[in-house]
Amino acid sequence: MTPRFNFLAITSLLLACIALPLVLHDEFLIHSVIMVLYFGYLASSWNLMCGYVGQISFGHSVFSGVGGYASVLLLTGMGWSPWLGALVGGIAAAVLSVAIGYPTMRLRGPYFALTTIAFAEIIRIWFENTDVVFGIQLKGAEGLSVPLIGTSWAKFQFESKVPYYYIILGMLVVVMTITWLMERSRLGVCLKAIRGDRDAAESLGINPTRYTLTALAMSAFMTALGGSFYAQFIRFINPERNMGTELSIDMALMSIIGGQGTVFGPLIGALFLAPLAEITRTYLGGQFAGLHLALYGLVLIVAVLYLPKGLLHPLRQVARRAFAKLRGGDAKGPQLPVPAVLPVQGDAK
Amino acid sequence: MSDVLLQVDRVAKRFGGVQAVKSLSFELHRGEILGLLGPNGAGKTTAFNMIAGFIGPDAGRIALEGRDITGQRPWDVCKAGLARTFQLSRPFGGMSARENLVVGALVKTNDRQRSRDKADELLDFLGMSALADVDADNLTAFERRKIELGRALSTDPSLLLMDEVVAGATPQEAMTMVGLIQRVRDRGVTVLIIEHVMKVIMSLSDRVIVMHLGELIADGVPADVVSQPNVLQAYFGDDYVEAGA
Repeated sequence: MTPRFNFLAITSLLLACIALPLVLHDEFLIHSVIMVLYFGYLASSWNLMCGYVGQISFGHSVFSGVGGYASVLLLTGMGWSPWLGALVGGIAAAVLSVAIGYPTMRLRGPYFALTTIAFAEIIRIWFENTDVVFGIQLKGAEGLSVPLIGTSWAKFQFESKVPYYYIILGMLVVVMTITWLMERSRLGVCLKAIRGDRDAAESLGINPTRYTLTALAMSAFMTALGGSFYAQFIRFINPERNMGTELSIDMALMSIIGGQGTVFGPLIGALFLAPLAEITRTYLGGQFAGLHLALYGLVLIVAVLYLPKGLLHPLRQVARRAFAKLRGGDAKGPQLPVPAVLPVQGDAK
Repeated sequence: MSDVLLQVDRVAKRFGGVQAVKSLSFELHRGEILGLLGPNGAGKTTAFNMIAGFIGPDAGRIALEGRDITGQRPWDVCKAGLARTFQLSRPFGGMSARENLVVGALVKTNDRQRSRDKADELLDFLGMSALADVDADNLTAFERRKIELGRALSTDPSLLLMDEVVAGATPQEAMTMVGLIQRVRDRGVTVLIIEHVMKVIMSLSDRVIVMHLGELIADGVPADVVSQPNVLQAYFGDDYVEAGA
C-alpha cells in the first residue's frame, strides 16, 4: 500500500467519523460510540509507553483517576474550567507516573506489572476510604458529581452528546498522531530497541530509565486527559469506575488484542472489545456479574494463541491483498528477499 | 604503537565465594587487535563486562583514552567511545537490519538522515545492502552476527569489544568474519576480542593475553604464548605438560 493510498484511506475514515453525528441521531448509539472512542483513546495512551517498551502496566487507571478528580475538584472547589483542570490533572499524573516508574522501571517482566497493580490499588483504596483531606471533599467510595453550571465549551458541559463526540474524536486523533510521530522519532527508535533487548540497547548508548520514564510520563499525561473527559461526560466520578483495576485491564487488553506497539492497534482493540463488554454488561450483567471479564479472558486466550501480534496484523494483510487485487497485480504483496537459511533462534554458544 | 587506548589497572570482581577476576592489569594500544584467551571460567566475560560497564568492579581502575570509566553505566561507556557485541547475538527483532544500525548511530547524531546514511554505509561495509529492509528476526545466525557488529560500529567507537564472534559459524563464515574484523581495524577501530577458535585468534591478533582462574598468566605474540607451558597447563592440565616435557 502506497503512502498516498494510506493518506486517502485515513482522510476518508476521518471524514466519515466527522460526518457520523449527522446521520446518527439516536442518543444511546452516540453514547456507545463515544464510549468506544473513549476506550480507544485510553488504550492508545496506554500503548504509548507499554506497547513500545514492552512493559505491561495494570495500573494505568490511577492516572485516569488523578485526571478525573483534578478536573472535578478544581471545578467544584476553585471554579476552574475543566479544560484547565484536565491539564493540571495531566501534569499531576505525569509527576506521579515518574514517582512510581523510577523505582519500578528497572524491574523486568511480571514484576513491573505486579508493582503497577499494587500502586494503583493502594491509591484507589486510599481514595475510597478518604472523605476529607486538607479540607477537600473527596467523599470516598461515594464519589463526586459534577454540578451543572450551564452549557458552554469553556465549561465542558453540553445538552447534546454530539460535542462530547467531537471532543473525544479530536483527542483520539491527537493521541494517534503523537504515537505516529513518536514511532518515527529518536524516542520511538530507542524504545523499540529497549523492547528488543535491553542490554544491547544499553550498550548502544541508550539509558533505558530515561527513555521509558519519558514515555511513561507522556502516557500518564494522556491517560489523565481521558479520565477528565470521562468525568465531565458522565458528570460523575468515583474511585471504582475511574481508577479501578478493571479499567486498567480494559486499557491493556484492548491495546494487546488490537496490536500493541502500533498506531491503529489499540483503536481496533477498542472497536472490538468495548462493544463486546457493553453488550455482555447490558444483557447479562444483571444475572452473571463479571461475565464480561470471563469473556475477556476467553478472547485474550484466543488472541494470544492465534493472533500474537494482535488483530491489526491479519487485517493489514487482508487489506494489502485487496489492494493488490484492485491494482490488478498478483495478491502476494511485496516480495521480500528470502533468507537462504531458516533463522535460528538464539544461536548456539 | 605506544599510544595506550585502554588501561585496565588491578581490576577485581568477586561473586559470592568466587573470585571471578583478581587483580587484572593490561593495556591496549591504539590500532591493535588484542585476543583475550582462557579456558571456560577463566573470568574473560566478567572482565569484558566490567570494561563495558555492565558490572561494576570491586577494586581497580579502568581508563579509556586517559579518561576514568570505572563503574560507569553502559550507555556512558558507549558515549565515551566503547562498543561491544554479545556472546549470543542480540539484534533487535521487529526492526529491519537498517533500523538496527540506525539505533547505534543515534548516539552521535540526532539527525535522522545522517543516521540512515551511516547505517547504509555500514550495511555496504558488511556486504548486506540487499538485506537492509529485512526484519532482523528473519536473518540467518551469521547475518545476525554481522548486524550486531555493524550496530556496534554505528556508534563510531574507538574501541570495540567482541565476545566470541564466530561461535556457531561455519569455517567459511569464520574466515569472512576474520576479514571483516581486519577491515574494522583498518577503519581505525581498536579491537579486543574473546575467542575460543584458535585459527581465528592466531590469524587475527597482534598480541594475545591469557587469563586463568581470574588472573593474567601470559601476554605476548600469539605464536609464543600458545607454546608457553603455563598456558598449556591452564588449558590441558598438569598431565599434558608433564607428558610433553
